[in-house]
Amino acid sequence: MRRRLSHLATHLTVALCALITVIPYLWLLSTSLKYKTEVFTPTPQWIPWPINLGNYAEVFDRAPFGLFLINTLIVVTGILAVQMVTVTLAAYVFARRQFRGADILFLLFLVQMMIPIHATFLPNFLTLRSLDLLNTRVAMMLPFFASGYGTFLLRQAFRQIPRDLEDAAVIDGCGGLRFLWHVLIPLAKPTLVAFGLISLVSHWNDYLWPLIVTDTPDVRTLTIGLGMFVQQESGADWTLLMAATVFVTAPLLVIFLVFQRKFIESFMFTGLKG
Amino acid sequence: MRWKWGMLWTAVAAILAVAVVHAGAQAPSKLIRLTFYYPVGVAGPLAKVIGEMTDKFNKDNPGIEVVPVYSGDYDPTLQKVQTSVMAGNPPDIFIVEISELPTLLAMNAIIPLDDYVKKAERGKYWEDFFPAFRENSTLRGKIWWIPFQRSTPVFYWNKELFKKAGLDPEKPPQTWAELKEMAKKLTVREGNEVKQWGVTVSGGWNDWLFEAFVRQNGSWLINPEGTKVNFDSKEAVEALAFWVDLMHKEKVGPPHSTWGSTPPDFVAQRTAMLYHSTGILTFLRSSAKFDFGVAFMPKSKTFGAEVGGGNLAIARKISKERQDAAWKFIEWMTSSENAAHWSMASGYVATRASAYTVPAFKEFLAKDARYLVARDQLQYASGKMMAPNFQKIREILKKQLDDAVDGKVAPKEAMVTVQKQVETVIKR
Repeated sequence: MRRRLSHLATHLTVALCALITVIPYLWLLSTSLKYKTEVFTPTPQWIPWPINLGNYAEVFDRAPFGLFLINTLIVVTGILAVQMVTVTLAAYVFARRQFRGADILFLLFLVQMMIPIHATFLPNFLTLRSLDLLNTRVAMMLPFFASGYGTFLLRQAFRQIPRDLEDAAVIDGCGGLRFLWHVLIPLAKPTLVAFGLISLVSHWNDYLWPLIVTDTPDVRTLTIGLGMFVQQESGADWTLLMAATVFVTAPLLVIFLVFQRKFIESFMFTGLKG
Repeated sequence: MRWKWGMLWTAVAAILAVAVVHAGAQAPSKLIRLTFYYPVGVAGPLAKVIGEMTDKFNKDNPGIEVVPVYSGDYDPTLQKVQTSVMAGNPPDIFIVEISELPTLLAMNAIIPLDDYVKKAERGKYWEDFFPAFRENSTLRGKIWWIPFQRSTPVFYWNKELFKKAGLDPEKPPQTWAELKEMAKKLTVREGNEVKQWGVTVSGGWNDWLFEAFVRQNGSWLINPEGTKVNFDSKEAVEALAFWVDLMHKEKVGPPHSTWGSTPPDFVAQRTAMLYHSTGILTFLRSSAKFDFGVAFMPKSKTFGAEVGGGNLAIARKISKERQDAAWKFIEWMTSSENAAHWSMASGYVATRASAYTVPAFKEFLAKDARYLVARDQLQYASGKMMAPNFQKIREILKKQLDDAVDGKVAPKEAMVTVQKQVETVIKR
């Protein structure tokens, strides 16, 4: 009986947390379906009536959001793919190899995390300009191909994997890269997944850098389209902003829902067994 | 061996032919392609409007192609312009917020436009702009940029709530004293909770509104050259004391709000009166279910306001030929007809007197005279304060304004602090 009660309490708490998380999204959805005159009523109106689907049509009329979505997908997956390679290789070296200056080099990687992104805008802009890459999708990806944060995260994960495993592998004649591929990466999967999520979401949300290095709609991303509905002088166009936000956040939600089970699994079956 | 030479000659001939054809195709019309960075400051499909306007210009002006580039809000636009200028790759034409003129000059980013302005419209071009809008264009005796998307703060009131409170719905407050009395009557409380504020002085750009109050009280904050500051004047302290009265002592107005949240508050009838930009009029018209009016901001010693918005500039580090083409575009964008068209599409104030004689605009204004209030108030308006490092100055002022309306510091003390801190910023 007591166990049941505590179960109930856990479930209630979890349900409450879920509700708190979901409420803003429901409000977003509700506002995106309203007419302008229905948004700001003295008492909040949760169910939009009459329903107005016109906001979505108008959002797509204002800017090529389909194209923006494709560009965003290319940019975030491009960054993630290259990061996975650079980050695992760098983390492997820092975690498992001894060489002169390793500590100082690693410190430099950490320092990179502390430099505010804005300070790097001009030098990065100049580099891209000399490479003639301004106003391309590559321009939005290139500065993020390496990641100090990812390297740090993964190095810590690699270090926690017992030496015994490496010794066993070496005795069996397994080389460095093979060991990385067959042992370290599978065991560090939760960290890789976590880092992947962070990278995906943060670059999905990038605004200022894409805005600065791109000029034309054919390469621009979703956030720039979203920015068109937020105005400094007059405040936002709420119904349109919410409709656009639904469209911008929906792909991330879908990705998460589809892979949800995988994510959780990868967190559960880890560590050294037996 | 012979066929090899033959092949070679054929190849050379082919390359030459291609080169000739290529050159031939380019020679007759040398196209000047100009980049134009613009921010979108008010709600509405303005990116589309700008696109349509540039398309029209390009069609009418063969040899020039203006490529409009949406560059976010004012702050991101400035950042994009600065980055490009520092990289030696400036946009040919751009719009940024008017207070940034000293910043642009410090970067040596733009050229003076006096020679162009003098010749435009047979010398009658510049005089036609409203004097208040011209003010933020001139510095050190030169004209640097042309008013384009311009606004000014005005006063909005909810006629229905006036009726409910037993006030004449057609009579907005004329003076600060009347404002305070009406705000008291219009504030509705339930216990300790305020259900409806009397008046909201919008936050976020409250530094901008504060400047208007100081103007109404007969003073100024920074001189046009950006060399002298006057934050601790008796008039400025009084203006802040009036704010403290409204928001802290009488509690008839919210001490904190954001620029974007107060128009929705007005629409939801959570505030009966509102200080905000003329740029929200179109939003209010499309969102409010009740009748509301637009009026001059109430006066203290005089009616007073200042202007805001963005101007059009031409980059320095481009060829003379490109600058000439850029001017042609700016002159076209700011013609009477286009100023009127832009005002109708955006809700900004048309920048020139003659725009108000354009038939289509006259017709538009006949339907809703509320759009004329901002123009009429311009006779009492002045330029917005500007100085190098303006963002820093804004922060200093906003901090003290917020602390004062919270009752954390006395008005006098707050303004003395602003004076001291801004002086060091300007001297730097």
